[in-house]
Amino acid sequence: MMQALRRRIKVYGAFAAMAPKDYFAYTAWVWVEFIAQFLTMTIFVHFWRAVYANTSTLNGLNLPQTLNYIMLAQVLAPLVQTRTIFQFGFLIQNGQMAIELLRPVDFQARVLVDTLGWLGMYALLKTPLLLIAVILFGLQLPTSPAVWLAFGILLVLGRAVVFYFDWIFACLAFYTTETWGLSVVRVGVATFFSGILIPIAMMPGWLQQLAGAMPFAQAIYVPTSLLSGIASLADAPRVLLIQLGWLIALAILSRAVFNVAIRKVTVQGG
Amino acid sequence: MPIIQAENLSKVFRIPHKDPGVAGAFKAVLRPRFEDKVAVNGISFSVEPGEIVGYIGVNGAGKSTTIKMLTGILMPTRGNVQVLGRDPHRQRVANARDIGVVFGQRSQLWWDLAFIESLNLVAKIYEVPPARYKQLLDQFAETLELGELLRVPIRNMSLGQKMRAELAATLIHAPRIVYLDEPTIGLDLIVKERIREFIKQQNRAAGTTVILTTHDLGDIEELCPRVIIIDAGALIYDGPISTIKARFGKYREITFETLGDASACAVPPGAEIVGAEPRKLTLRFDRTLTTASQVAQAVMNAIEVKDFSLAEPDLASVIKQIYGGALREPVTP
Ligand SMILES: Nc1ncnc2c1ncn2[C@@H]1O[C@H](COP(=O)(O)OP(=O)(O)O)[C@@H](O)[C@H]1O
Ligand SMILES: [Mg+2]
Repeated sequence: MMQALRRRIKVYGAFAAMAPKDYFAYTAWVWVEFIAQFLTMTIFVHFWRAVYANTSTLNGLNLPQTLNYIMLAQVLAPLVQTRTIFQFGFLIQNGQMAIELLRPVDFQARVLVDTLGWLGMYALLKTPLLLIAVILFGLQLPTSPAVWLAFGILLVLGRAVVFYFDWIFACLAFYTTETWGLSVVRVGVATFFSGILIPIAMMPGWLQQLAGAMPFAQAIYVPTSLLSGIASLADAPRVLLIQLGWLIALAILSRAVFNVAIRKVTVQGG
Repeated sequence: MPIIQAENLSKVFRIPHKDPGVAGAFKAVLRPRFEDKVAVNGISFSVEPGEIVGYIGVNGAGKSTTIKMLTGILMPTRGNVQVLGRDPHRQRVANARDIGVVFGQRSQLWWDLAFIESLNLVAKIYEVPPARYKQLLDQFAETLELGELLRVPIRNMSLGQKMRAELAATLIHAPRIVYLDEPTIGLDLIVKERIREFIKQQNRAAGTTVILTTHDLGDIEELCPRVIIIDAGALIYDGPISTIKARFGKYREITFETLGDASACAVPPGAEIVGAEPRKLTLRFDRTLTTASQVAQAVMNAIEVKDFSLAEPDLASVIKQIYGGALREPVTP
């Protein structure tokens, strides 16, 4: 049992270790993303300072809280602005899906491990951005290890929730070639309803309900609220349970959908 | 015990009609309309361990579709496949562990990384013991001349280098069966030779079963004692290559462009007319009875010849002839 587990970790770990290597084959991209995020963060900070010019609290949040939240959400944003649907479509259309399905591993597990393994890399990559935010814009980070630990768990689970959700929609790519448009819509919806632009607590009630019905907030709003200090550690267990609910439901559903979709595979070309 | 068994295997593609745009995509999902395309039509065969089988047919005959069903990535519409006692589609991952697949136009390697990194990863995911990996790598490096390629990213490789890299990566876990879908397409003769040599060696040394699709007759002649020929999705021949060679290697076609009226020429002994136009004459002759120069001489003596050409039987014409029922005629050894 332990032996089998260790073997699996080795195999899937080996896959995940390739992702950063692949990424750094394009070092220019690392810089482009960094500069883009820094600029967006600067704009957001100025925007929210202007909003708070005539008021001290908005929906119970003061300026430092909101800025803290917005900056952290900005750092995490690329994690949910993913194009899985398009990537699936691309894999199917260029025939590479055939190659992926021929590898002796569970395809979904492999991509999940890749995705979650990437979070570790991401933390390293984004540390400079966090430091800049601390120095230039007064970002305040918690000092309690318990908060960081809870944040880590919420982030990993939240990212997994979004992964399974995306997987279900990505299976559409087995049925349609129009995946680019769907993918763009998906990124737009995720950007808004994950709470990257404004904290969900500031949205009108009906939008909050809508955001709650979607999984994106699990990966941004939920962990960021804790790390930025607008949610307390005491609330973490409750939030964690909700996340687990999402996770289990979507994991089961996504496997079922994939197993049906894969019967329809008509891998192009060759 | 056959290692591969296909029974009445068929694949019908349902090609969806799609309107462009997001709206079209949703419409296609909600209310799909389809058109059927039979790619593989009731094929049965079995393969014994250690065989090298050439699976041949012209473009669009259904070769790749068959390979995809055998490897488990495509579910047959009808019929049955058993590979190593498993249903390759239902048990895709288990099956994948025991096989190796090369699709001529794709790569299982990481495009941007040095070849050796991809190779190391492949060895890890197939759990090749390190000592064995090293041994095989040394051996492959020699036969396929991989030495300098190991540090090169796949994207910087030529077609021939890529294919050598691909083959090494596919065989590094010593699969029991390898499927090679047009492995020599677009390669020059020297690389083709090297690849054929490698395949032969793997088959001899490790008893690897090989299924090879190609439309290169050279591949077939050098590698495959047995061929399966398909046309328009249906099996039209399954048997030794020697039968085909005896039948089609025996005859050659020679075409003359003439200045005078070609029909004025008497047919030389051992030859027969297959096509005659006013200024063009095509003869088929039996190489056991006469020679090209004798036939040419006889024709040139009779009429003024502007040009002539001798055709090697290519796969397409062989298949055309077989399809036309040529193999039903008695075959003289
Ligand atoms: N995914 C697919 N969807 C629709 N038709 C396909 C698909 N794949 C192959 N076909 C059709 O099936 C036939 C056989 O294709 P294929 O097996 O690729 O031929 P070959 O490999 O012998 O050239 C062709 O007519 C091809 O157009
Ligand atoms: Mg093909």
